[in-house]
Amino acid sequence: MNQKGQTATAYLFLTPFLVVLAVFFCFAFLRTIYYSFTDFNLFDPPKLIGLKPYADVLGDSSFRRALANSLLFAVITTTLQTILSLLMAVALNRKIRGLSFFRAAWYMPSITSSVVITLIFLWLFQQQGVVNYLITQLQSVWPLILTFVLILIAVQVIQVLWEKSRKLPVGYFDPALLAASALIALFVTWGLSAAGVVTAHEVVDTVSRPGQITPFLYQYFADKWLSIGGVQIISVPLMVIIFMNTFTTIPTLMLFFLAGLQNIPTALYEATEIDGATPFQQLMNVTVPMLRPVSFYVITVGLIGTLQMFDQVAVIGNAAPTDTLITLAYYVYANTFKSGVAPVYMASAAAIILAVITLLLVTVQRRFISPDAV
Amino acid sequence: MKRTALSLLSLALLGSAALAQQVTIKINGYGGTDPAIVGDLINKFVKPIVAKDNINVVYEPLQGDYNKALTTLLAAGNAGDLLYLPGETAGGFIATGKLLPLNGLVSTTPFIKSLNSVFTVKGQTYAIAKDFNTLSLVYNKDLFDEAKVAYPNANDTWKSLATKLTAVKKALPSGYYGICLQPGFDRFGAFAYAEGWKQFDSAGKTNLLSKPFVDAFTWYTSLAKDKVGVTPSEISQGWTGGCMQTGKVAVAIEGNWVAGFLKDNAPNLKYGSTLLPKADATGKRGNFLYTVGWALNAGTKNKAAAIRVLNALTSVDAQNYVLSEGLAIPSRTALQNNPFFTKAGAGSENARVVFQGATDGFVSGFNFGPAGADWSKIVDTALASVLSGQKSVKDALASAQADMNKLQSR
Repeated sequence: MNQKGQTATAYLFLTPFLVVLAVFFCFAFLRTIYYSFTDFNLFDPPKLIGLKPYADVLGDSSFRRALANSLLFAVITTTLQTILSLLMAVALNRKIRGLSFFRAAWYMPSITSSVVITLIFLWLFQQQGVVNYLITQLQSVWPLILTFVLILIAVQVIQVLWEKSRKLPVGYFDPALLAASALIALFVTWGLSAAGVVTAHEVVDTVSRPGQITPFLYQYFADKWLSIGGVQIISVPLMVIIFMNTFTTIPTLMLFFLAGLQNIPTALYEATEIDGATPFQQLMNVTVPMLRPVSFYVITVGLIGTLQMFDQVAVIGNAAPTDTLITLAYYVYANTFKSGVAPVYMASAAAIILAVITLLLVTVQRRFISPDAV
Repeated sequence: MKRTALSLLSLALLGSAALAQQVTIKINGYGGTDPAIVGDLINKFVKPIVAKDNINVVYEPLQGDYNKALTTLLAAGNAGDLLYLPGETAGGFIATGKLLPLNGLVSTTPFIKSLNSVFTVKGQTYAIAKDFNTLSLVYNKDLFDEAKVAYPNANDTWKSLATKLTAVKKALPSGYYGICLQPGFDRFGAFAYAEGWKQFDSAGKTNLLSKPFVDAFTWYTSLAKDKVGVTPSEISQGWTGGCMQTGKVAVAIEGNWVAGFLKDNAPNLKYGSTLLPKADATGKRGNFLYTVGWALNAGTKNKAAAIRVLNALTSVDAQNYVLSEGLAIPSRTALQNNPFFTKAGAGSENARVVFQGATDGFVSGFNFGPAGADWSKIVDTALASVLSGQKSVKDALASAQADMNKLQSR
């Protein structure tokens, strides 16, 4: 009797969620499947036309580009964000001074709106934006940097050799000597620069002559591609988005890894230390296998999130040519919201294809990284 | 006391009866500055006329992407009784069957014929143009003076204009350009028309490989050679009006909207306006008619009242007001003699040129046909890839035509 009552209570608590799921997911999903076999255009009553929407979608070059972009984006971004967030979690799991500050600071990109971050990236990567400006500056001060580095190496080598000649145990990366070398290199470079022996290049907005350089004005959000054998593989604007997405998602995933790291018994690390394992061997043979369930979750969430990437593409909008950035989620949106009649049947077919691909990818990675295989 | 109460009661009843009879006409239009302008227009010229018929008028702007918002409202049956119908997307909206043909309901004769044709499909007119714009060639007088090159004028051909622009580029320091080139059909298309190109053939198909189109495309993109022409994004601008604002570009191709923009954002810029250059091959110029019309929702429950409001919105008085405020060029033929056009000043000069542009040479409505914006995206992509030096004219047009064939065979 008591158990019966408990079951009813459980169902009662579940009802709001089940209703929302039924209305906004099951109903919508079933309708999308139905529309993907019709000629629905938002206005006329849909008529069944069989597999034609799928044929139309597959024949559309925009869709094929969206598919390629989505898969590339999902695989590259998920790989990058998983590896980098794991490394960051390992770094922030050590007992270092100001740990809570670093954890909070690194988490900032995750709590900032993706729309705002996209706008900032648009600004950074404009033709006359910050990135091009920094590259121009770097090009102009290149002789000074090179001089500094060469002097630093020379002074360091001299110092180490001198110390060694005095039979003192010293390495080439000794921090104290390095600091002294850097200071000497800085002074000598400054002196050479003041004497006019080594000077920075002059940035001039004209045809370059010796000693002058033109500003670096690379157009990131343009129809520019990395091609192999004439086949356009990945566009430059998409690479910018991959960079941005990795930057914003690492902190969230890092938190999952951090939580996972807390659960690894320190005895394991102590045992490997006794066996003489290097930090890299510890990472590969203890940390990574013990984090398998977390990795499974992180990769699954990463794949689903990246396959459905939409907001960044929508915000960048016309700033980059459509084909360079179009993803499956954006393709679905663009084919549903048009001016007047819209090929909703094509959007529906594309949405179903996206769902199937997501399921497939998650299933495939489940076979390789089973959460139970600890 | 009783009598007073009775009379008050009867007054209240009468009032509620009158309220019940009052009809509210809802208008859907653009957001931005339109609510203020149209609100003013409605209060000054529409409400006084229709109030006696117990008609109230409400303007409901659709913020964000107007076309998408209107599509959703029309599909859901919630759109206003009257609505803005943008000329470029009219084809897609007319195909929904949710707009009422105006033939026999509203007279289209007082309005410029080419404007009516933008909203006419199979002999049925679906909207009355509220106002319009065409393209004009806007030039920076100071830059031409500094380069000692004659201003562009109405007799210029593509060749003579290109010579002038090259001379300007050569004479000015680096960082200055001859012309700002929008990588879009919305500007380039006018040049294709000048060569006699037709956007759609009798079967509704588009040929991007026909000689007139290829010639116009080649000329337009050739201006990017040696940086005589520059795209807005290359100088961190969003449109060619922004290029003019920087004072570093000698020429831009824009409509009357640029006058207000320059007045606010570059008040010291000395500029002039002239008609677009003529194609050397045909001796004609081409132009676009950019227009937005007033259309009737087929699902309106107050057809007669909505038509009354539509007539008031396009009345002579209302259109005179729009012109005098420098907002747009009126769509009534009779207003071409309005004294505003002969006033001195860069703004009036531009308005005059824009008005002339509607009837000089091969003029066509800015329209994407039933495929909507997807149609123009194909041309835009081809233009962008050639202007940025990614593709040759031949390769860009070949792949554009392949995409066009696919789009139009769906």
